[in-house]
Amino acid sequence: MHIVHGTWIPEDRETFIQKGAFWLWVEKLPESLPEKQKTPKHPYALSPKDLKEFLTKELQIETLDKRHDPFAIRYFFLPSHNKMPLPSPEAMRYAAFEEPEEFELSQWEVPCFELQNVIKKLQHINFICLTNPLSFQPAADLLFWYHYTRSFREILIKELYIPGLKYHAAAARPARKGKMKNTEEFAVYPCWEIVAEKYDEKIKKYCNHMPLVCTAGFETPAAKQTEFHDREGLLRHFSECLLQEIITETKFTQKLDNQIKDTLVHYCAYPTNMLQAPMTNQDGLILYKKWASWKEKLTVASSDAAFTLGFRLIEARSNNVDYWVVEFMAASKNDPSMQISLSEYWALGPQGKRDQEKHFGADFQKKLLLNMGFAARIYPKIWDGLETQEPGGFVLNLNEAFAFLRETSWVLEDAGYRVIVPSWWTPQGRRRAKIRLKSSQSDAKPAAGGGPGKGHMSLESVIQYSYELSIGDEQVSHEEWQELVNAKAPLVLFRGQWIELDRDKMEEMLEFWEKHESEQQGLTFQQLLKMEADNSESIVFDYDDALAGMMDKLRDKSRFELVDEPAAFTGTLRPYQRRGVSWLDYLEQIGLNPCLADDMGLGKTVQVIALLAREQESAEAVLPTLLIAPTSVLGNWEREVQRFAPALKTFIHHGPKRTQDKKEFHEACANNNLIITSFALARRDEKLLNAMKWQRIIVDEAQNIKNPDTAQTRAIGKLQADFRLALTGTPIENRLMDLWSIFNFLNPGYLGKQAWFKKFFEIPIQRDNSIVQSEALKKLVEPFILRRVKTDKSVIADLPDKVEHKQYCNLTKEQASLYEAVVQEVNREIDKTEGIQRKGLMLATLMKLKQICNHPVQFLQDGSAFTEERSHKLKRLTEMVEEVTENDESLLVFSQFKEIGDALQQYFRQTMHCNTYFIHGGTPRHKREQFIEAFQDEDSEPSVFVLSLKAGGVGITLTRANHVFHFDRWWNPAVEEQATDRAFRIGQKKNVFIHKFITIGTLEERIDAMLEEKKSLSSSIIGADESWLTDLDNKTFKNLIQLSKEAVLEE
Amino acid sequence: MAKFSRTWWGERFIEALEQFTDPARLKRGRSYAKGGKVLNYKLSTGEITATVRGSVNPYFGVYKEPRYKVSIAITPISVKQWSKVIQEIASKASFVSKLLMNEVPDRIEEVFAKTGLHLLPHSSKDFKTDCSCPDWANPCKHIAGVYYLVASELDHNPFLLFELRGLSKEALQKELAKTPLGTALSQQLETVEVEPKSVDSYFTRPIKQKTENATLKEFWTGRKRLPKAIETATPPIVHAIVVKKQGDFPPFWGRDNSFVEAMELLYNEVRTRNKSIGI
Repeated sequence: MHIVHGTWIPEDRETFIQKGAFWLWVEKLPESLPEKQKTPKHPYALSPKDLKEFLTKELQIETLDKRHDPFAIRYFFLPSHNKMPLPSPEAMRYAAFEEPEEFELSQWEVPCFELQNVIKKLQHINFICLTNPLSFQPAADLLFWYHYTRSFREILIKELYIPGLKYHAAAARPARKGKMKNTEEFAVYPCWEIVAEKYDEKIKKYCNHMPLVCTAGFETPAAKQTEFHDREGLLRHFSECLLQEIITETKFTQKLDNQIKDTLVHYCAYPTNMLQAPMTNQDGLILYKKWASWKEKLTVASSDAAFTLGFRLIEARSNNVDYWVVEFMAASKNDPSMQISLSEYWALGPQGKRDQEKHFGADFQKKLLLNMGFAARIYPKIWDGLETQEPGGFVLNLNEAFAFLRETSWVLEDAGYRVIVPSWWTPQGRRRAKIRLKSSQSDAKPAAGGGPGKGHMSLESVIQYSYELSIGDEQVSHEEWQELVNAKAPLVLFRGQWIELDRDKMEEMLEFWEKHESEQQGLTFQQLLKMEADNSESIVFDYDDALAGMMDKLRDKSRFELVDEPAAFTGTLRPYQRRGVSWLDYLEQIGLNPCLADDMGLGKTVQVIALLAREQESAEAVLPTLLIAPTSVLGNWEREVQRFAPALKTFIHHGPKRTQDKKEFHEACANNNLIITSFALARRDEKLLNAMKWQRIIVDEAQNIKNPDTAQTRAIGKLQADFRLALTGTPIENRLMDLWSIFNFLNPGYLGKQAWFKKFFEIPIQRDNSIVQSEALKKLVEPFILRRVKTDKSVIADLPDKVEHKQYCNLTKEQASLYEAVVQEVNREIDKTEGIQRKGLMLATLMKLKQICNHPVQFLQDGSAFTEERSHKLKRLTEMVEEVTENDESLLVFSQFKEIGDALQQYFRQTMHCNTYFIHGGTPRHKREQFIEAFQDEDSEPSVFVLSLKAGGVGITLTRANHVFHFDRWWNPAVEEQATDRAFRIGQKKNVFIHKFITIGTLEERIDAMLEEKKSLSSSIIGADESWLTDLDNKTFKNLIQLSKEAVLEE
Repeated sequence: MAKFSRTWWGERFIEALEQFTDPARLKRGRSYAKGGKVLNYKLSTGEITATVRGSVNPYFGVYKEPRYKVSIAITPISVKQWSKVIQEIASKASFVSKLLMNEVPDRIEEVFAKTGLHLLPHSSKDFKTDCSCPDWANPCKHIAGVYYLVASELDHNPFLLFELRGLSKEALQKELAKTPLGTALSQQLETVEVEPKSVDSYFTRPIKQKTENATLKEFWTGRKRLPKAIETATPPIVHAIVVKKQGDFPPFWGRDNSFVEAMELLYNEVRTRNKSIGI
């Protein structure tokens, strides 16, 4: 793993113009870490040669520079220990490296590469790292600069910079003998200056994000002390250098050069000469003074008045379209509702005027005139209104009024004036030209009041409609439209009201209308959504009530009426889950295939089960549904169906003994409602599954089909079904290719071909951060995705503070055979023992079996691999931890075994690369506190905290976690409760989700059932430990521990 | 945005002078004013005095840089007449606003014309000039140099016009106080000029400082986590809005074409020619 670092390093020489450069370096830990470094060379930084190769080959950066050698040594102060630099946290995740208790800062020589064109290159590197996450990744310092440069673009995009001058009073030189200097020595330099309050906020904000390592790089080695650059100074230095570089390296046109010749702006655009020979004469000083007074007014103009000067545009009447009045007005800053029009003010007597000064300040008249003057500089038309002693307003003609609305009002508002425009110009009041879709047949409406299953549209169902041209809510004839397009004026009176017309768009709409007007074939809902998205730039679509109702429902999912809980569903749905079921049902009805993406813990499984149960109530015969899920959750699905919809006949198609015979499989399917299989088998048994026609294909953990090129994804895509449904708990909108792949399964063709999608969405959005494309894509996919998170208001209201959930999983074949061996031995032995010996045997057996259920390694203790292939439990835990951390949440994992805690910590660190802490009985107190503090820090990455049940039981607050996993069970609910409460303590603002792992068909499931029965019993009867289990008679004990057949699940 | 122009009063002052003096001679003053040759320039009510550095000319036996004393006296407008003019000015909001912003209203001559007066020099009779140099012609280079200096000051200090024609600051304030709008204007006369602010470095200089006591985590990741989303920005609806706030033709802009338009073009070119960095 290569970790890419980089930072801005100012030149060491503190000359008046001190430049800087951006330097990249790459860290790579060797397989085995060297003991001690004798030279100041950084041992893990790539050598210049390797760096060059890495940059060219991996990062695709051109390293040849004809002007100068871009490779150089730079000097970094880095945390070090025992004469070795410590690896960065990113590098540490890939190495078994124990963080030392203490460290010192020492300077290291690091081979670096000078990055030109920083904004573009950082974007490029970040994109490459995103697409190759397994071989290299950016360090936090580089990511910081990437984020900052992205944010800095705002200064350039929003034009928040001005040409300027720097005045530098030279240190007084000793006067030469006999000559008195009576003029001051100074130099004036051209520069570019950023003017925006936002900029200062930005600097402040990013200083808090800036890692200290960004300030630790130097051009030359430090003499003695460890000194860093100050964060703010460094960030400003970088920003100013960057701005200067970008503007002065822009190739301006001859046209511009001619327009700015011999002015300050020209000096600033081409500063090279003047930076070497600045202006030192009176002309320079006068220029500076003129510029300085201009600049001062630019930033502080009119801010000290107690009122805001305002302009109200009053629209012209139809009999005089060129008479638009702009009225002057003033509004109090303290109480903006306190307003007066100036005509009213002038008409007041002396006392009345004095009364007004209470609101607008004693120097109201002076400030008023000054403000009007400033405003008139922006908008000279204002002078027209000032040709009098008592200015009240001025008149505009139609074109001027349009220009005022389009541009001037924005400038005035931005400059701090108040502008009031007629309501028809505001976004709410504006009437637009649009194309209206009018559905002409009632079959577009979902069957009202029909039973479930009825009114389902097949994919071929279409909406019959016709197009109409309209403005606002009014239909417009073709001729009228043409007339409006032909009208020259930008604003027209249409049926008594002013409207703005965008002729180009209107023409495009007309063209569209003419082309499609005669079409009669209709569209499916999917086509309709796509057409709308494709034309969203030029055409505004409007829908009649029936269609609008359907569209609104798709866009605002809270509007769904709740369906009744199906009779065959034995659980209770929370209100938001009922909404979810209604949504799934509705989308299927209108022929769209949905993706349910609720956060983990919100109950996607029960919503799906309710949907299936509802379908069974339908009078029509329903084909079976095929559910494809990761092997680790197959058992869980079966258990959940048994629990919530026992009437739903289910079978798992899995394991070596599964049928391969088409006929037999066909029969099995016909006798069941739900067939559950794994991703692996969906590919391997492709032919068998493909021979069936399914009602619905459900893909659980849909991220498994995120790679469109795998045989597995392709095989699943080929399956024949009326409906498709994808389930996932991670936000799929963020990884665009995953999104495409899932959509390609759900609604093939809807997001276009893969290459097209990459070009039009992935690259613009993920590399170039295009808002337009991102919005367009969002609009396209939004109707298909339902994602609710725990923090949604509507969800929180429905959720209990603690949500408990049992996570069922199977045994692997290896686990099962170990388990079986132990059971058989005990069965032989137990009848031969008595008393203490018997108790001892029973407790030892319980311990062994639990270990086996966790992972074979724990039982065998042979140092073999702790891998997820050997334990479904571990596999499922890993999947769930991944999902939780991807959603930016933290979690606790409890186990009663220290060795499992150790193994899990190692495992999470190395496979998932996330912050992992572990405390057990032997953890020293100060370490414990250190871990807890680090975990609780809201500003750190989401983290995993592994605790041994005993050590972590009391006195610790870990409220940052909102998921608690019990990897193995303690046969006393009170102890588990106590552990759970680490997260559920005072200060916990989130709902806590508790996941208890239970291995199917083993003692874990049976004891869980016993505990459920005995829930009412007080803890005194159950006792603090497991010894109560030893009171069981031999037969009961044997029943308790025996392995049932359903326990095993093989790949 | 509507276009507008700006009247350069310094230029009009020189043009007015050209009506009754030799333009070629007058032009020679320009380099004198720009080259910093005018020293001890002083303007008091109705009179300008200055010391001007002459040139060394061995041919005429001038081996040491001479200094010439220049004085220019301008025929004053009488207090009574001034009163009328000020009343007239203070009755129009547009005049008062412009003067408040240190600009001379474009149509100020109209006001003077109403009372049969001229604000700008009208004939050579209006001037009594004197220079200690040996040049007998009028204006000599030195007087012309002072004219140009007056002209450049006029561009950003309109009140100079009043003083040139004999109305002292105090008297002007008194007259202005007679009307409500004028009162507002009289306060403006109190404002003082900004002193240049000297900077020690061209770019902000990062300070080297002792290290903070940082933990390992703070060293590598900063006090706060980076935001999840990348910040993006959209182009403004109205371009060059920052420089539009002080109107067109700012005092440092010496050209006749529009500053705002030039800046709009510049901003646009910076954006379109740096598309590759996504701006």
